[in-house]
Amino acid sequence: MTAGRLFEASAPVHPDVHLLHTDAGPRVLIADGSRLFGVGQALFDRIDAARRDPDPRVMDALLVDVGLDAPRQIDDLAPDPPPVRALSLAVAQKCNLGCTYCYAQQGDFGGPAKNMPEPTAFAAVDTLFRDAAPGERVNLAFLGGEPMINRPVVRAATEYALTVSERTGVPVTFSITTNGTLLTPEDGEFFEAHGFAVTVSLDGIGARHDLLRPHRDGRGSYRRVMDRVAPLLAMQRRMQVSARVTVTPLNLDLPRTLDEFTAAGFHGVGFSPMLSSPTGQGEMASADLQVMLDQMTECGEEFVRRVLAGQRYPFTNLVTALREIHRGTHRPYPCGAGAGYLGVSADGDLAACHRFVGDEDGAMGDLTGGVDDAKRARWLTDRHVHRQEPCNGCWARYLCGGGCHHEVIRRGRPACDYIRGWLHHCLSVYSRLLAARPDYFTG
Amino acid sequence: MSDDRIDPMNLTAQLHYNAAGNPPSTLPESAISNAYPGLEFDIRNIWRRLLVGIELHESDNYVVSADRGHENLVGRRLLSVGDHDVIGTVVGPIRPGAGSAPLTSAANPDGVMMLEWSNSLADVLADHVGQTVPCLFTVDPAPNPVGKPEELPDPRFQVVELEVRPLFAGSAATGGYLPVIAEELAGPGDLTRGLCSPWQNDYRECACYYWAASRPDYVNVEDTAMGTTTGNHWFAVHREPREYVLDDRFDSRLVSYDDLFQDWQGKLRFIVGGNDAPEHLDAGTEPKGDSR
Repeated sequence: MTAGRLFEASAPVHPDVHLLHTDAGPRVLIADGSRLFGVGQALFDRIDAARRDPDPRVMDALLVDVGLDAPRQIDDLAPDPPPVRALSLAVAQKCNLGCTYCYAQQGDFGGPAKNMPEPTAFAAVDTLFRDAAPGERVNLAFLGGEPMINRPVVRAATEYALTVSERTGVPVTFSITTNGTLLTPEDGEFFEAHGFAVTVSLDGIGARHDLLRPHRDGRGSYRRVMDRVAPLLAMQRRMQVSARVTVTPLNLDLPRTLDEFTAAGFHGVGFSPMLSSPTGQGEMASADLQVMLDQMTECGEEFVRRVLAGQRYPFTNLVTALREIHRGTHRPYPCGAGAGYLGVSADGDLAACHRFVGDEDGAMGDLTGGVDDAKRARWLTDRHVHRQEPCNGCWARYLCGGGCHHEVIRRGRPACDYIRGWLHHCLSVYSRLLAARPDYFTG
Repeated sequence: MSDDRIDPMNLTAQLHYNAAGNPPSTLPESAISNAYPGLEFDIRNIWRRLLVGIELHESDNYVVSADRGHENLVGRRLLSVGDHDVIGTVVGPIRPGAGSAPLTSAANPDGVMMLEWSNSLADVLADHVGQTVPCLFTVDPAPNPVGKPEELPDPRFQVVELEVRPLFAGSAATGGYLPVIAEELAGPGDLTRGLCSPWQNDYRECACYYWAASRPDYVNVEDTAMGTTTGNHWFAVHREPREYVLDDRFDSRLVSYDDLFQDWQGKLRFIVGGNDAPEHLDAGTEPKGDSR
């Protein structure tokens, strides 16, 4: 289905029910609980009529009548702030690249460039483990700026976290997001030894990447990144090295990008549209998102072909979507930001996530005074998808969660059609694969 | 797919779908949980052979058999393993409104009860796996529960050193544990021995309170001019007289365990719309044959 058709087919009609025609037959998605049903055409038509009926009781009665009602899974109440189980450390608020769209404004978040001192990183680790019980797992992430500028603190914080993990019996996992330009084989060995999830920002092949992710003096960075990442790709066993592609109007070349990075050996390749940049540069407009959706579905079709042939194809967006649809994941937030996940600035200030470093909108206390639970509670109340517009009327709200908080607060919601269209496509792919390869979901 | 069919596809859909004809109790949010003794396997059986040399009852602190060298422990009671008691004192009110007092009886003069193994032996496993620990037994066979003595030594009790087996099988390759229960603890068939057998046992066992969630109880009910009702207990051997016989497994007006073991499929009638299904109406009066 083309992106234009997907936009139409996925347009919101009823907040609680979405209907799809798939190659595997008619499907009904009940938003609450993200429950997906195959139905006969007659029932499909009855539900379609009910969702267009101005009287909301008609749909309610029909769902009860056919047994599709269920106790409500998500109500209007925000949950109490959960224990913090993941922190990302902005170990270096500086960067050697000059990407125009960067939310961190070339790494320094609009302030003076700085490194996180080791005691601050250790205090963050202590905060992360403070309330964790044995058996619970925590995650420590390193971001920036470019975190490898502050390599000694990345290593020291990792080793300190391992010490605390051993003492407390709380397992810890590690992740890092890097531009790849400073990686060394020794870094690879360190990440491999500790099972890091390594995400490398790559915005396309060759010149396209160079256009978007140049060095500060204008030189391209693609060749250097790929040379530096190659040893990591070769040695990854416990570690997983993935590529993250930020999609702007200048690198709309997704199928080729996915194929090249797959061939290079990346464990996963994920695409994310640029929706909000500090300068407005690189932001995707509606027409761009339509092109992107066409390319995403093209990648998705290749994914289906590969899965049907029994091959692995690391198109992360679809792999993740299929997993979440199969589970029936439903949530009133897009991510754990401001809840179980917080960002830590180089100075030790806590923020709703790595993007809100230095931003009063997402301030959540500091390492000295502790996590500000009153601010987290207010955040969870304010950011609940039931309080978001136009999410309240949208069938996709518990799959999408309302969209990235940072992007929404900065720019609003320019990508709803794209997100719904993509989810509609993913639901169709799920239906097809579940019929053709049920083992994909149970294996 | 036929036009009226509904196929729950993903996991949440399967979990919450109330299929046509199924009662509410088939949904997780309204089901009566059945964790004891369990329909899939009985976890209590993994504890029977935790201590090398003896085999315990799965729901009593009673030694049912022993290896050579420990035969004298058979029939005795285990009271503690290391620092962990495997019995507890039972207290509670004896009459409404009264305070708590020890609940003793002629058959249980010390007022004690074994603690469920998963509670009492979990710490033993955690603290002493692979080690030998002092285990306190009664000196004599003890068919009834026995409490711990105030002080030790006591001639009525004996300490025997026994080794605590690992719960999980070991890996010859790594030397570590495998995510598999050790065969010495539970051999083939051990985990499923003694599972529910609803038709033969549980429907009979649980009166109308428990399995009633999924079995008929008061059937063939009709209103009377008096404003009361008449009807049958589902277990009534005969449908006349039409009266509800209170559940009592010794009452010959109701089907017995023996009846169910021998011919449950003949004795238990299908109930449709609250009444005996038509094909069963005359079942009670026909000689049993091979036609059904």
